[in-house]
Amino acid sequence: MKLNSFRKKSPWILHYNAGGCNGCDIEILACLAPKYDIERFGMINTGNPKQSDILLVTGPVTKRSRERLVEIYAQMPEPKVVVSCGSCASTGGIFRGMYNCEGGIDQYIPVDVYVCGCGARPEQIIDGVVQALAILEKKTKELEQSVRLKKEPVMEGGQLNRRNIAGEIIKLPGQ
Amino acid sequence: MNGLLVPVLLILFAPLLGGLAYGFERIIRARMQRRTGPPLLQPFYDFLKLADKRKMIVHSTHAFLGIMHFLSLWFALAVLFLGGDLILVIFLHLLSTSLLILSGYSTRSIFSHLGANRTAISVLAYEPVLILIAVSVFILTGSFDSASIFSYSQPLLFKMPLAFVALLMILPIKLKKSPFDVAEAHQEITGGVELEFSGIFFEAIYTAKWLDYVFCYTLVYLFGANNPFMGLALVIFAFLYVNALDNSSARVNYKQMLRFSLMVALPVAFINLLITILHLS
Amino acid sequence: MYLFVISLFIVPVIVSGLILLLPKAMSRMLVIATSVILSGISLYLFIALNEPYYFGIPHYMNDIITAADILLLLFFGWIAIRRKSWLVGIMTVLQLGALSYLITIMPVADGRQFMVDKLSTFMFLLINVISSIIAIYSLQYIDDENCSVFRKKYFLSILFWFIAVMNLVVSSDNLEYFFLFFELTTLASFLLIGFRKDEPSVKNALTALWMNQIGGLAILVAIFFNMYYGYGSATFTNLLAHSSAPGILLPLALLSVAALIKGAQMPFSKWLLGAMVAPTPVSALLHSSTMVKIAPFIILRLSPALKDTPVASVVIALTGFVFVAAAIAALSQDNFKRILAHSTIALLALMIMMGAVGSPVTIVAALTLIFFHGISKCMLFLNAGILEKLFHFKQASDMDKLAETGPFTSLVITIGFMSLLLPPFGAFIGKWFSIETMGTLALHQKLLGALVVTSIACGGALLSLLYFKVLGLLIARTGNQDVVKFEKSKPLYNGTMYILLALIIGSVLSFPFLMSNYFAPVASQTLGLSIAVAIEGWKLHIASMTLSIVPLLIAFFLLPVTILLGMFVRFKNVDRVKEYMCGEKISYSFSSFYFSTDKATPYFSIIGILFFVALLVIAVL
Repeated sequence: MKLNSFRKKSPWILHYNAGGCNGCDIEILACLAPKYDIERFGMINTGNPKQSDILLVTGPVTKRSRERLVEIYAQMPEPKVVVSCGSCASTGGIFRGMYNCEGGIDQYIPVDVYVCGCGARPEQIIDGVVQALAILEKKTKELEQSVRLKKEPVMEGGQLNRRNIAGEIIKLPGQ
Repeated sequence: MNGLLVPVLLILFAPLLGGLAYGFERIIRARMQRRTGPPLLQPFYDFLKLADKRKMIVHSTHAFLGIMHFLSLWFALAVLFLGGDLILVIFLHLLSTSLLILSGYSTRSIFSHLGANRTAISVLAYEPVLILIAVSVFILTGSFDSASIFSYSQPLLFKMPLAFVALLMILPIKLKKSPFDVAEAHQEITGGVELEFSGIFFEAIYTAKWLDYVFCYTLVYLFGANNPFMGLALVIFAFLYVNALDNSSARVNYKQMLRFSLMVALPVAFINLLITILHLS
Repeated sequence: MYLFVISLFIVPVIVSGLILLLPKAMSRMLVIATSVILSGISLYLFIALNEPYYFGIPHYMNDIITAADILLLLFFGWIAIRRKSWLVGIMTVLQLGALSYLITIMPVADGRQFMVDKLSTFMFLLINVISSIIAIYSLQYIDDENCSVFRKKYFLSILFWFIAVMNLVVSSDNLEYFFLFFELTTLASFLLIGFRKDEPSVKNALTALWMNQIGGLAILVAIFFNMYYGYGSATFTNLLAHSSAPGILLPLALLSVAALIKGAQMPFSKWLLGAMVAPTPVSALLHSSTMVKIAPFIILRLSPALKDTPVASVVIALTGFVFVAAAIAALSQDNFKRILAHSTIALLALMIMMGAVGSPVTIVAALTLIFFHGISKCMLFLNAGILEKLFHFKQASDMDKLAETGPFTSLVITIGFMSLLLPPFGAFIGKWFSIETMGTLALHQKLLGALVVTSIACGGALLSLLYFKVLGLLIARTGNQDVVKFEKSKPLYNGTMYILLALIIGSVLSFPFLMSNYFAPVASQTLGLSIAVAIEGWKLHIASMTLSIVPLLIAFFLLPVTILLGMFVRFKNVDRVKEYMCGEKISYSFSSFYFSTDKATPYFSIIGILFFVALLVIAVL
């Protein structure tokens, strides 16, 4: 029995701030508030990657937060989607080029939907999430790994050991 | 055989009932906050979605203990519905909570460990009161069986009002609702013991939460004894009370919870026991 | 019959002497052979004896016994002088004075100084079987200990001599003999606690000595009052025969005081806790399975007379309080043996409480508790010894690595702890006891009944908290390895563990049968009433109590079997993922939770002392 259609009826969100200014975070939390109320779609803000389907990332990736971002992404069970909220998460935004900031999150994890805006509005965020749900419905349960910082998971006796699939920093050419 | 049919059906459909109760509660909570809230069948959508995730566990012992927590809670509910011994039922509930606590201790995760600590302390908070209520029931009806409550002449509420008050005091602790939800403090310890479960294994914990609702509200229903309408009215009252309290109060820390339970709820139950004994002679 | 009983006294003494002389290999065989023989004899006696069996010893033995009494007290005096302990000195002087006065006024004892009834054979079984297992275990344990060869032999020989003394204690009727054997167990305790001869051992041995001497003094004063009120010779049977005479309360109260001190109830719990510095077989044998069981034994012997008296009420109130207090104190300990000691004190309080209530159901419950507690605590303490010798740690917080380095030991400790939580503990005892308390006390002491039920409920919850704490440490795994490999351990350790495991599992599975066929007859003979026991269908009926067995058996499968299966279950084809720590990569190690009870502990002692004073005052009034 195909249970795919139930994925869009109960999407659970994990919200992670990779190093931004909190503007988009406030807008995301406003979505949960009575005025926009995304709980009527069944969305709950779980604080926990193991129980969530959608990873909402705000803020650019910084040198400190890149490993943690990949760790959290690795601990989410497939099928999962990533929505990058705001221009910082997409391209670096106003922090692009700073010494501690590495730019958009798609250098490290595969992103499915980009929501633009500097201070992305709740309506835009909800729209982005709904588009992500359409993508989620079609995803399979194959292992999805990060783009960089990845280590192959070890196959031990019929099961995949993914305790260590967020690897160490790889030196990029030219750095 | 007829007398057995209703309890058996109730036992088999207990998760469904629990799911509906849980969904209803989410709607009530949303309406109290002037929001629309999810549809009524939302918990079942959650159930089916979780069944479709890639399976992931921390280690087998942890996942296995979570599943057994669910099964033993269902068994405790079964004994309650079949008219079993109240102290045995309380003991079985303690057993299922202890399986949850042990699963919390079995991983090397801080939040899980903290959640298990806090769940253990909340067991200390509500267990004595429940036992005292059960003993008061025994004094009144002459037997520990929950079946004998239904053959008692009056609803228990009229004979033991203080016991009902004590039960209402500890209901938030059992159901993990504010102000006594330290065990599952979502903002502090991200869910405590349920943290490390994922996918179908989280199913077990999630469904166990529904069964917990059925269990607690059945205990409330018992106070209405042989009058089903009274029982239902009490359940609805308790439901609204718990949700109103949840929505309007902040969380207290575990010391304050213990202090409240042992200095307020336990004396109330104790006074009720004394009064029941004195009245009976 | 006479031969068997006497052999239980004499064989251990002979063996104890032989061990000192024989070389090691032969003494090993001797110990194992003796263990089997003693267990066999006690089992036979338990099954075969039906009527109480009185016998006496020749008159000249009387003088020997009195001479032994005085010699013993002189030895205590010598210890007091040598160790410069004025407490021991004062107690010895008091005891010598009381004893000499009693000798002058006591009538010559008639022929029947010993009585072996079903209660005695029950205790025989417990003592001999458990002691045999511990003796076999100590063969290995004492080998690993750091002392001279002679001291190792000395240890084993004192152990066997102690077995003989315990057998004598539970079969003596005459109170003066009982006093002698009581003080001999104190002596054994003193010698064995001080075995390691370092500073804490010596100090704690002295504490044990003077506290138990207070108990001995209480027995002597009880004998005095027996004479004073003119009941005839000072025996248990005589006391029970005069149970409605005026003034009976004072001897009863004094004997209860002796029992409470031996059972390390507050405020006299310090000696038991200090005794944990002794080698582990000592802790297992003396201080959990056998010697401290003298306390409920005395109360059970006296229960027909003690029932429904004000003395019983004070004892019940005291032990109810100690149950809760010991459980609270146990939560503050980290040393594994101390946790077990506190839990022993709490359960002893429960046993004494049940003996003091004295109704058929509670006596059966007390016997069941004594039996199962003996086996479980023995197993747990022996494991504490294994932890000390093989894994080299004593603190409970180090146990979190045990699930992966020592799976078999962690399995056995888990079973031991759970046998304390499960049926027939847990639900049964609490329920039965609350019912019976309500039933018997509700007639004239309602407040007491309600308080007792509350204390049992609270104490039970606290003890469960304690078990969660320890079980949680035992079940912690890193998740890095999936396969369970049992560790290598010495054969004698493994052998004793297997025997104990078989005993526990067998007893738990057959407890309805045990309860109806073996414990209830003991209880009925002790009380002098007949108790109707029946098993019909799936329910067990004892006196007026019914218990449905099916849910309990299923509970038995759910809790322990779950935890044990949890060790072996593997989910195939499922990913293994890391724990959530907000994405950090650091690994953590955990301890457990502790409550500091320093503020409360002085209050516990004060309340305990108040209770003891109340006990004596009520007896006088």
